[in-house]
Amino acid sequence: MQGASKAGIVLAAGMLLLIFGLVVSISVGWTDMGVVSGVKSLFAPSTSQEHLIVTTLRLPRALLAVIIGAGLGVAGAIMQAMTGNPLASPQTFGVNAGASMAVVAALVLLPHLPVPFLAPLAFGGAVMGGFAVYYLGAAGGMTPVKLALAGTAVHLFLASITEAFILFHQHSTDQVLFWLAGSLDGADWTDVNRVLPWSIGGLVAAFFMARSIGIMRMGEDVAKNLGQHVIRVRTICGIIVIVLAGSAVAVAGPIGFIGLMVPHLTRLLLGRESQLYLPITALLGALLLVYADVLARFIAYPYESPVGIVTAFLGAPFFLYLVGKERRAS
Amino acid sequence: MRARLLLPGFLLIFILSVFLSGCGTAIQNAQGTAPAAATQTEPTPAASSEKRVIKHELGETEIVGKPARIVVMDFSFADALATLGVAPVGISDDNDANLIIPEVKGKVGTYTSLGSRYEPNMELISSLAPDLIIADLNKHKAVYDKLKQIAPTIVLNDHQANYEHMLANYAVIADAVGMKEEGKKRLDEHQAKMDAIKAKLPKADAKLKVLPAVVNPTGFFAHSNASYAGSLMEYLGLEDAAKSEEAYPKTNLEQLVALNPDVLFLMKTGDKTIVDEWKTNPLWQNINAVKNGKVFEVARNKWALSRGLIGSELSSEEAVTLLSGK
Amino acid sequence: MTRRQSIAPAFLLLLIVTAIISIGTGAVSISPREVVESLFGTGPKNHSFIIGEYRLPRVVLAMLAGAGLAVSGAILQGMIRNPLASPDVIGITKGAGLASAIVIFLFPKSPAYLLPLAAFGGAAVVAAILYVYTARKRVQPATLALVGIAIGVICQAGIQYLMVKNPGDVNAALLWMAGSLWGRGWEHVWAVLPWILVFLPIAYSLANRLDVLSLGDEVAEGLGEDVTRLRVVLLVTSVALAGACVAVVGSIGFVGLLSPHIARRLVGGKHALLLPVAALLGATLMVAADGLGRWLLPPMEVPVGIVTAVIGAPYFLYLIGREKRRGI
Repeated sequence: MQGASKAGIVLAAGMLLLIFGLVVSISVGWTDMGVVSGVKSLFAPSTSQEHLIVTTLRLPRALLAVIIGAGLGVAGAIMQAMTGNPLASPQTFGVNAGASMAVVAALVLLPHLPVPFLAPLAFGGAVMGGFAVYYLGAAGGMTPVKLALAGTAVHLFLASITEAFILFHQHSTDQVLFWLAGSLDGADWTDVNRVLPWSIGGLVAAFFMARSIGIMRMGEDVAKNLGQHVIRVRTICGIIVIVLAGSAVAVAGPIGFIGLMVPHLTRLLLGRESQLYLPITALLGALLLVYADVLARFIAYPYESPVGIVTAFLGAPFFLYLVGKERRAS
Repeated sequence: MRARLLLPGFLLIFILSVFLSGCGTAIQNAQGTAPAAATQTEPTPAASSEKRVIKHELGETEIVGKPARIVVMDFSFADALATLGVAPVGISDDNDANLIIPEVKGKVGTYTSLGSRYEPNMELISSLAPDLIIADLNKHKAVYDKLKQIAPTIVLNDHQANYEHMLANYAVIADAVGMKEEGKKRLDEHQAKMDAIKAKLPKADAKLKVLPAVVNPTGFFAHSNASYAGSLMEYLGLEDAAKSEEAYPKTNLEQLVALNPDVLFLMKTGDKTIVDEWKTNPLWQNINAVKNGKVFEVARNKWALSRGLIGSELSSEEAVTLLSGK
Repeated sequence: MTRRQSIAPAFLLLLIVTAIISIGTGAVSISPREVVESLFGTGPKNHSFIIGEYRLPRVVLAMLAGAGLAVSGAILQGMIRNPLASPDVIGITKGAGLASAIVIFLFPKSPAYLLPLAAFGGAAVVAAILYVYTARKRVQPATLALVGIAIGVICQAGIQYLMVKNPGDVNAALLWMAGSLWGRGWEHVWAVLPWILVFLPIAYSLANRLDVLSLGDEVAEGLGEDVTRLRVVLLVTSVALAGACVAVVGSIGFVGLLSPHIARRLVGGKHALLLPVAALLGATLMVAADGLGRWLLPPMEVPVGIVTAVIGAPYFLYLIGREKRRGI
């Protein structure tokens, strides 16, 4: 009972913070407008420039942050549950790097490919990166260290290939780097429409699987004893992760560490198992990315910086903190 | 016990490499001047045996006579030589001859591609036995000593050059190839041409806010007033809409709407660019350039790569033609 | 056992053959006979110049850097007790990368010699942070690896920020990041050689103690080893080797990861044998990759770091797969 009320408080507070974050997000940017006029221009007559900026650029950008943040957070939570590994996330699992490589390769090799096909290609890359890391790290039990080392090795490899593509096609790709750092800058409704079906599908599927995922967190043996179809659960969860992370990369580039941090934050706030674990993880992921995206606008104001840099600067110390916690625990 | 025997074997590789290094130095001493000597076999006109000392970014270089086999390491230098009617023997063209604008290529004729501008092929440069090398400060300063061994080398700051710097670099190149007078004459012609182009600009178009920009599938990169293309526009009496110390700031649609240029010159890297997406946004219609129907596509190699007299004349002319509506 | 040991001279031979072929490869092609003649000073003049000035120093530098990175990786793998550790994975080369990106982007007019100095400084800073962790009592080597990874991520974010803010200069930085032997000459060989000559023998002298360490901390301590101190000495050796190499050739990946791995498969885990074989393999790999990079798309040169990654990584996956099947 107490757990439920705690989750309720977290949920309510998170929602409030998210709404506040969204308001800030649509109010700050190159064109100077205060919070009040930002909100006002949402409802202003459709001819005003401020109204157009807010409704066609800032609003989709803020929503994209919500969608992608939620997706990455849930993807991380599922990965941590499946592997029993606190360091698992799309970033550390090579999924982001694989998807990025696929997208850059497509930009270079298939310049006439329609944009909607980028997402499925990114899935392919994500599968490749994820499998490579699993393959390298899973031998004899996947310890956090093994996963981190395997993930970094695969990441470096895929990044070298991506670099090679950029170097040898510099006249068409030298500016892809901004995207490669992970960026929401320049998002519009097309991007939202492109990622939304995948994200909704992935999130809904994840919520349906919530019970199984919760059981898997207790370990494979327990799950088997509780009658879980382990292989089936793993396969479905793998697909969900690939879809959530891959579609995010296809639209916004590899934004790291949301998936690593958010599940831990959720556990920190909720204290113990809760039915609301996945929804709150999604909420916190959205919250984190929305605020990180606001921060990214201020690093080199008035010029934009990629949000992926912000999440990396937040995420790396968090990673160190997790390492320290692991050490104390063991 | 056998494992102990490995130590000598282990060290052998290093003795070997030291031995090889010694060998290499010996070769260097014996052959160091070989390529330079090879160029001397070409009969040089008596008139051009005078010595000139050329000041450049990394010091001074003495050049004797009129260099005949010149290697250039960027497009702008090829433009400068073409302006002077000199054909370089080698150009680092990123292995893509199409990046050189036809007007320059026609004057350059056949040449040897030296590969990437960032890592030009040193062996090829030396095998061409040049008697003058023109290099860029940013990209090639690390190999200046090696280039010097091959031939007299001048290093110019082309990478960060705007229109004015480009003219100064051009004058240095003219002096280096022994064509100071011709260079000046051609520069005067250039100035006259630019004045004529400027005069063609309708009076009403003066102080128009223009914005040259490179657009690719993921981004829109404005060429600000600090860039070559931007400074050229300002020289023509137009105004660059993007004022920045950064030469190529990444710009999103919101910023573009705020900059609100009256004219857009888009250099596309491929068929599909981010502008295709922006066109579907009502904000795009709010930009003056779009309202006025003054969004033009121009060639990137002409507007941003061939930074020289020929390139600047061509792009200025194109700008004015486009602005005056044919 | 003797069969295993006879592998080492065979690899020396392989290295020499690879080097001769590599010296002959490039935009100007030179036959192996001419290569040998030129090395003894009797070849045709123009080819001798190209060999003496460009290819030979590159090949020698490739050998030194390959050997240095391979031994650096072998030490780290032995010390962290994980075959996936290497100087690039635990952030040392990323530190060098961030420092060099700062020089490339923020001080574009700086003299050319500043770049390798800064790169070495960057590697040293990362090493210092790792040192602080290692010198602490009872720190698991695994923690060290994770700390290195996190530092690498922070450095990477910094590099990306600089690249994004300076889109015009990105290629110079990318080439450095990938690792390249372009334009390297004897002065670079002389800069790396002392480090290699000092620290490779030191590494070799630590071989037996690395064997002891691989038995686990308790066993090592039981055998009278001061584990923390040993680890610090190993870290310094490894970073000195990797730092010197990376400073001169850029952050070349996978040589440090792959070479010790192949060596371990061929000659087993005894470091007295493993280190020399790994060094020879690393040197061969680098020489071959550089030759391949010059041969693939003339007049373009494919940076050696990209070649090592593209041929190294799939082979690495294959190796791991085989080991898994054999249940090692």
